[in-house]
Amino acid sequence: MVENMKKIIVKDFEKCIGCRTCETICSLSHEERVNPVEARIAVAKYEESGWNIPTLCQKCEDPVCVAVCPTKSIKIDPALGPEIDYSRCIGCRLCIMACPIGGVGLNPISRKTVMCDLCGGDPKCVKVCTTQALEYQEDENLSIEKRGENVGRLMKFLQGVNQ
Amino acid sequence: MSGYAGRILMVDLTNGQLKTIPTHDYSEQFLGGRGIAVKLLFDLQPPKRSDATSPENPLIFMTGPLTGTLAPSSGRIDVVTKSPETGLLGGANAGGFFGPELKYAGYDGLVVTGRAPQMAYIEIYNDEVEIKDAREVSGKGVQETVKTLRGADERTQVACIGPAGERLVNLSGIAFGTRNYAARCGVGAVMGSKNLKAICVRGTKGVPITNPDQLQALADQMRERIKTMPSYRDYPEWHHKLFRILESDGKTFFGNYEDTAWKDRFEAYDEAERFIKTAEFRSQTCFGCPLRCWAYINVKGVGGGSIAACQGTLTSLANFPKIKDFNKIWKAYLLMQDFGMDTSGTAAVVAFAMDLYSKGILKDADVDGIDLSYGNGNALISMVEMIGRREGLGDVLADGVKAASEKIGRGAESLAVYGKGGLGLWLMEVRPFKGVALSCAVTDSGSQNRATYGLCEFYYLSMKKSAEKAAQSITGTQDAAIPTKYDHKPALVAGYEDLHILADSLGVCAIPFMPVGLELWGKAFVACTGKDTEPSRLKMTAKRIRTLERLYNIQQGMSRKEDALSNRLFDEQLKDGPWAGEKLDHEKFEQMVAAYYALQGWDDEGRPTPETLKRLGLT
Repeated sequence: MVENMKKIIVKDFEKCIGCRTCETICSLSHEERVNPVEARIAVAKYEESGWNIPTLCQKCEDPVCVAVCPTKSIKIDPALGPEIDYSRCIGCRLCIMACPIGGVGLNPISRKTVMCDLCGGDPKCVKVCTTQALEYQEDENLSIEKRGENVGRLMKFLQGVNQ
Repeated sequence: MSGYAGRILMVDLTNGQLKTIPTHDYSEQFLGGRGIAVKLLFDLQPPKRSDATSPENPLIFMTGPLTGTLAPSSGRIDVVTKSPETGLLGGANAGGFFGPELKYAGYDGLVVTGRAPQMAYIEIYNDEVEIKDAREVSGKGVQETVKTLRGADERTQVACIGPAGERLVNLSGIAFGTRNYAARCGVGAVMGSKNLKAICVRGTKGVPITNPDQLQALADQMRERIKTMPSYRDYPEWHHKLFRILESDGKTFFGNYEDTAWKDRFEAYDEAERFIKTAEFRSQTCFGCPLRCWAYINVKGVGGGSIAACQGTLTSLANFPKIKDFNKIWKAYLLMQDFGMDTSGTAAVVAFAMDLYSKGILKDADVDGIDLSYGNGNALISMVEMIGRREGLGDVLADGVKAASEKIGRGAESLAVYGKGGLGLWLMEVRPFKGVALSCAVTDSGSQNRATYGLCEFYYLSMKKSAEKAAQSITGTQDAAIPTKYDHKPALVAGYEDLHILADSLGVCAIPFMPVGLELWGKAFVACTGKDTEPSRLKMTAKRIRTLERLYNIQQGMSRKEDALSNRLFDEQLKDGPWAGEKLDHEKFEQMVAAYYALQGWDDEGRPTPETLKRLGLT
């Protein structure tokens, strides 16, 4: 394996049927209770247009959250990307405000940010996704075509929303 | 108290009083969902029998211990009240996302009594519960109501009634979001009678789980079983395939139960396929469910909305009134959803009116100038609006098929088809299917959707081997699957009822319940709650719930003679199709009823015996 090859969770919102099992398993495995607001992944549901859009931390190479964190509590793990050290996090929510893709959220119980930790490299949400709307892939396998395809879909969706 | 939220919210709309009661007082005996709801209905019924639309009639929403957990297909909520359509127990069950959210807010259920001085809605955010003025959404359709009350927060779940519920239409249901309905038995009219427009809920407490690792392993296994159901792959295509599946199972009929071989039916099936394949189409599902029964469909120039691949939706709207213009059907469907109506019951009552019109019982002067001929899509659309608003003929039909037939008279009574208490049947020919017939007569509410969903008789013609296998496992004999035989049907129906009651009480969907199997659901219950149980104990609980439902109906004045179907199903045989010549036989039917009572431990009049009450702990 190439030294700096990374795996990320790839989302395909055209495959997502909106069952929210990813949220359920995420909260259950991290918090020992089922509570979707504490999940590191959230499915944005647009009932009136039938779209379901999973959102989670995309493990950016140049993470804005790291840059804005005043206590330097977001560290970059070489394999897993950004992760939060909760002993340092003061719950200022700056990372939530700054994240341009809505990848992190507020846990209303702990009052701190929740960020996907890829379950330490074996993400459970991917395993329970029955339609493969979530896949755990090596980032370099995401070809130019794949990116083009996704952008095209996003454009189509955004046009639909703006109509 | 793991698995459960632990409390049930009680709202008295007359005086605005709010309180909670512990779920634990009920869960040991009645499990959850339907079971606890029936117990509460029984306990809270007014001392003197009163109207379903009187303030005293409790309207109960109840989730189960698996609702909103990782157990698959666990988005269900049960709604129980006295039905204005039958005067007996009324029950309906819905999927979607409302049930889980209610639990995350800290409530297993919600009991509404009384009547608000003016149209109100209940807003729940964890421990904050408020009764608010609903003037803004009063008279509005389901779409606008949900949109307005939800605001920018898609996570707020809204249950509401449309204009039909506000006008106490017996064919009105309660919408959960803009798509899932507790549709049957007139539960929407009961909500309307309480001046309750909506309930909004948002919760951030979550549900504790006793053994998360065990639940994860079980849920993987359960999802796998659902995904290996033979029909799983085809689910997204059922919206049009169902027409042909109903035909191949010999279940289909057209119009007002007079025709199983409508000459244009294949053209209609082709139209259905073309309609689905050319529309904007996205598969949808309910909370935690791999099945994808739902789809968002958008048709340019007509509109968009979500629909379930179900006998009660497209097939009902096409087959009952014999309409093959799917743009008209889609428009009528969207209207019914927005008015908050039971799509299947409404289609059936319109077909009934069309039949009366074709026979000259309803004349032009009676139908407000509408050409009520079979096949007229515009007539269906107009009738939906008139029923939803209780205008003209719509006001008569709004009470349901039995009451409408009595009001119209002139021979209409003998053409009406219904089950227990006068509840309209769903889109399914009953006469050849003796188990279905029994179920529509003896079940809690007359609503077969609460008793024998997936009964093996249904698929006997197309999947004989699996039907026989299912019959064998429930009754010990594969012959029980043969639709036209009366033998073994009491045991078959009682067996399916038990499973259905358990699905509705655990808070999961009845469709995947049987393919997954009771044993795994039981284990998931143990993993969630830390309580001990096994299938035999769960079945005992089902029997307890079933008998309590019976006790409630008896207290409402029901006797054996209400466990009946309309005479037409006994008098008029099927003219054509695979079951030509079939009708029900009075004597054999009554023998089935008696044998069913005996199996349940009830006497000849259907009254639970003292020994049964004692055995079930209901004394």
